[in-house]
This record gives sequence, C-alpha cells and structure tokens, in this order.
Amino acid sequence: MNQVLYIEDEKEIGEWVSKDLTDRGYQVIWLTSGEDIDTYISKSDIVILDVMLPGLDGFSIGRRIKKEHSDLPILMLSARTSVEDKIEGLDFADDYLTKPFHPEELVARIEVLLRRFHKQDEKIELQHLIIHTKDGRVVNHESDVEILLTGKQYHLFQFFIKHLNQILTKEQIYEGVWGERYIDGDKTLMVHIRYLREKIEKNPANPTIIETIRGIGYRVKL
Amino acid sequence: MNRFMKSLLAKYMLIIIVAILVVQLAYLLVGSIAIFGFNLQDDEDVDTQVVEDNWHRDASNMKNITDDKIEKLFKNWKEKYPEAGMFWVNAEGKLVVEIDATEGLPDEWTPVFTASFIKERYNGNPFTVIAFVGDKEKDGFIVIEIPRNTFDPPILKASERFGYLIIIGVIAFILLFIIVSFLFFRSIQKRLLKFQDSMGIRDVDGLPVEVEIKKEDEIGELEKSYNQMVDELRESRKRQQQEENLRRELIANLSHDLRTPLTKVRAQSYTIMQEELSDQGKQAAKAIETSITNIDRLIENLMSYTLLMASKYKYDPKEMDMSRFVRESVATWYPAFEKEEFKIDVSLDSLGQWMMDPIWMERILDNLFQNVLRHAKSGKYISVKTESREQYDSIIITDHGPGMKQESHEKGAGIGLTIVNMMVKGMNLDWKIKSSEQGTSIQIIRFR
Repeated sequence: MNQVLYIEDEKEIGEWVSKDLTDRGYQVIWLTSGEDIDTYISKSDIVILDVMLPGLDGFSIGRRIKKEHSDLPILMLSARTSVEDKIEGLDFADDYLTKPFHPEELVARIEVLLRRFHKQDEKIELQHLIIHTKDGRVVNHESDVEILLTGKQYHLFQFFIKHLNQILTKEQIYEGVWGERYIDGDKTLMVHIRYLREKIEKNPANPTIIETIRGIGYRVKL
Repeated sequence: MNRFMKSLLAKYMLIIIVAILVVQLAYLLVGSIAIFGFNLQDDEDVDTQVVEDNWHRDASNMKNITDDKIEKLFKNWKEKYPEAGMFWVNAEGKLVVEIDATEGLPDEWTPVFTASFIKERYNGNPFTVIAFVGDKEKDGFIVIEIPRNTFDPPILKASERFGYLIIIGVIAFILLFIIVSFLFFRSIQKRLLKFQDSMGIRDVDGLPVEVEIKKEDEIGELEKSYNQMVDELRESRKRQQQEENLRRELIANLSHDLRTPLTKVRAQSYTIMQEELSDQGKQAAKAIETSITNIDRLIENLMSYTLLMASKYKYDPKEMDMSRFVRESVATWYPAFEKEEFKIDVSLDSLGQWMMDPIWMERILDNLFQNVLRHAKSGKYISVKTESREQYDSIIITDHGPGMKQESHEKGAGIGLTIVNMMVKGMNLDWKIKSSEQGTSIQIIRFR
C-alpha cells in the first residue's frame, strides 16, 4: 500500500481527496500545513502539495523536500494556474495539477509518478503478461514462461511501462530509449517495435499490447 | 566662482587672454630689443640739425685747403656716419674729392647744374648739406649726403632690420593659437562624441547605462543630467515592473480564489454522485460537473485574456519543430476524443522549425481541441493535417460539427477563439476559419 502525504489547508477539499484516495487503496496522511512533514516524510511514497498554505508556502516546502529527498515524487495540486506559477512549480515538482480537478485524473497522475519513481512493487497484469516493475521481468502467465528480451527491447518495453496509458510519439520513444535525437524517416524504432511485438504479442500481425496510434505513435494501455 | 573656473568658457577665455597678452608682450619685447640694440650701435642721436651745424662748422674751420685735408675730414665723418656720401667741388667747379657720393655727378659743375642740384636736394632724399670750405668762397664747397632713413626713429629702423623675424614670430604665434584652439575644440568634440556613444549603450534590460563623469565643466554637467535621467528611467521601469507584478499577482490570486470554491463544489457533487441517485439526480449532478468544467475554462480564458490585453502574458519564443509539437499535443488530447468515440485522423508531415512560444502554441491547440470537443461532438470526427505550399506551411484542424453559425448548446467559444487570435497574431502567424453546416476547419499558417 502506497503512502500519500497530502498537504492541503482547505478542509472540504482535504477531506474529499483523503477519503477518495483512501477508498482507492492508498494510505493517506493529510496535513493542513507544512509544519509536521518531517515526521511522515520518510515513510511516504509521494507528496501532494497545495501552494497557498498558512505559514510556509507550497513552493518552499516542495523545494525543501526535493532537496532532502530527491527520489520522492512531488505533485503540486493548486488553484494557481498562471504560467509563472506552473513554471516555478515544475522547477522542482514532478507534476502540476490545477484545481478544480477530477479525482480520476489525480489518481492517474499519482500512478504515473509512482511508476516513474519505482515506488510500486506491484506486478502489472497486461493481458496475458505479468510484468514485475522492480526487476523488469516479463512472464506469460498463461504458459508461465518468462519472456526474455534483448537490451534494447527491454529498455523499449520499460519505457512503455513507465508511461502506461500515454500515447508516445516516435520522437519521444526514440529519444527516451536511445538518448539521441530522432531523425525523420529513421526506421530503427519501427524495426525494434516489430521484434518486441513478435516476442510479447499473441498475434504480432494484429497487436493488442503495443497499440499503433496512426499518425502519432504508440501506446501501451492497461 | 570655483565652478566658473572649471568651465569650458573660462578655459577658452584664458586661451584668448593669453593670446592677447603674448601679442602685446611680443611687441614690447621686440621694441625694446630694437631700441636697445640700436643704441648699442649708435650712441648718439642722429639729428639732421646737428649734422648740418657740424658740417658747416667743420667746413668753415678749414684752413689752407688741400685735397688731403678734405679727404681727412671726409674720413672722419665717414667713421661717424658710415652711410654718408661726401664730395668736394672746388672754386673752378671741378669735382675733386669724392667718397661714396651719389652716382652720376659731373666732373665739371656749371652754375646751372649747381643751382639745379641744390634745388633737387632741398628737403629731398638723401639729406644733403652743402657748405663752403673755409671762410671764403674761393675754395669751393663740400657736400655731405646721408640717406634720410638714417634719421628714422629706432623702432622703424628695427622693423626694417628685424622685420622678417617679427613676421616669422607673428606667423608662428598665429599658428600656435590656431593649434591650441583646434586642440581645445577637438577635445570638446571628442568628449561629445564619446558621450554620444555611451548614450547608445544599452543594459541587458534595454535601458541606457550611466556615463562616467570625468570633469566638472559644462559637458560634465550635461553628463550629470543624463545620468539623472537614466536614474529616473530606471526608477520608473522598476515601478512599472512592480505594478506589473502586482497586477499579475492580483489576477493569479483572483483565479485562485475563484477556483478554490469551484473545487469544493466539485468535491460535493462528486460525493453526491457516489450515492444512490435517481436518474434525475444523476443528470443534475452531471450538469453540475459540466458547469464546473465550463466555469474553470472561462476563468482560465478570462485571466489569459486580461494578461494578453495588457501585454503581460509571458512570451518566450524559440525555434521548435512544429509538426512534432502538434503530434505531442494531439497525443495528450487523443484519449479525450477517443472517449467521445471520435474518428481521429492524424497526418503530419514535417513543417520545419517555427519560431514560437511553446506555452502559447499549446494554449492555442488546447483551445481549438477543447472547442471541437465541446461544440463539434455531434460530428464525431477530427482531423489534424499539415499543408505546405510555396508561400506557406500550415496546420489544419477539421471537424464535422454543426459549424460556428449553428448555436452550440454550450457557449463560451468566443473568448477562447479571441485568445487564439491574439496568440496567433502575437507569434507573427496567421489563421483562417472556414465554417459551414458540414463542419469547421481552422488553419494556422506560417508564411515563408
């Protein structure tokens, strides 16, 4: 169970979010100011921070947390929506969600961050596959056979798993996995995706795990 | 007084005064040297009367006239007056002795010639004295001729003698004066040009920088006033910046204060939706949800509009790959369209690098996609394509909605499109809307 440290001074919003997140299976610690965060910070997997707080503001708290715990994801949740605020927030925070928000969106973003920071020891079940996110093992649970991926295939699949449900453009994938600038017309990515599909898809000619989004890129949807 | 002494005026006055004094002093000096020098050579004053009297006296004092005696007399006089010429005409009218006399004197002196000679020389040049020798006229007469200028005042003589020196001196002095004046004005000119140059220098914030004051003269005063002006400019820029920040902060706070209760409304409506509700209740809760989204959008647009109108919206353009940018934007909107069961047709060729602010472009695309989602839901179709022609590159977003003239049941597209317009124009791009009952197509154009 992931622990969420949530700092919000508005009582109604705080109650609502805490309840909703608790219902969804998170352990929530809700504080109305940044005073006592040190008590809980070490056990938390993610921090959700409001900006306008009594005493120290959310930006200052966030910066301090990030300085001391750089591997702790921070999600800013604020009714301040100006470009300047977002820029200031994203300078240290990992995501910035503006109020009013949908609880589904908040959860989706929390999940993305937890995955990105390897805070989940969960096994992801993806059709006939079980993916162990910590060590990156991929097992076909129908046949109970581990699927062995080569270096590039592994990195490519990991990249998709880190960005579950997100549509990724060819450029984003290539630059994320190869770490080089994508050159228009480069077939390397397509070739690797074909090999990867041959290993993980039941029917590589009609892929269901790595979806092709025409004109845009690819997506792995949970 | 101290300030006056430091002024350029005072300096130039000084140059002029020195010049006048030097001229005066030079004249005095030359004059005194001349007098002094002349006196060294001739102790006695040269006076025509004295010469005449002495000549007569010496002539009449002569006894037992012989050629030798006359010659001796002449030599004595020659020592005293080196410029003088002398001759003796005896009683027979013959020119006997002659020293340095005027050329062309006849050997035989007729009474007629003698008379005309006397007439010619009377008050003429050279100064001539004719005296009978001894006490009788039987020994003829002696004549002395001295050039008149011998009797000129010393200064005149000096000017004749040292004239070229004085002329050279005067020319040299005039040249010196011209050079000093030239240097003086050139230094002023140089400082003014330097001042002009430093006035052209801009700081990183686009404001002029203060100049260094080296001298406390008129130009120094000018520089001081200029620095004061720069100071005031900076001060006013600072005030403007503060006002800008205040305004931005005000808008940000207002937006925050509006959104916080809106979030609370969503919290309540969300809680209600978790309950067992009648169909009517569900519909009402959903309507609240939609309204919250709309109000949120409106607040956002209103804030942006206010900032854009006041030119306070942060603008930071850079070179970006446009089709890549659009692809990434469509990728984030894709799930929303997918959820509404849209047919999504994306075909993006390379459009090259566009000079744009990514935040602005994102905002433009967000507003356009948002409009399609809200107003063209019925068409269930969106296409995002590129179009390149010789004159332009463009992005075309097409939907199959009821068109813009058709009143959509959700309003509020106006301000969103106004913002699109302002931002497109703000980035030196253009756009076109084609709308009919078959749908709307919006083209964002960059001319080459």
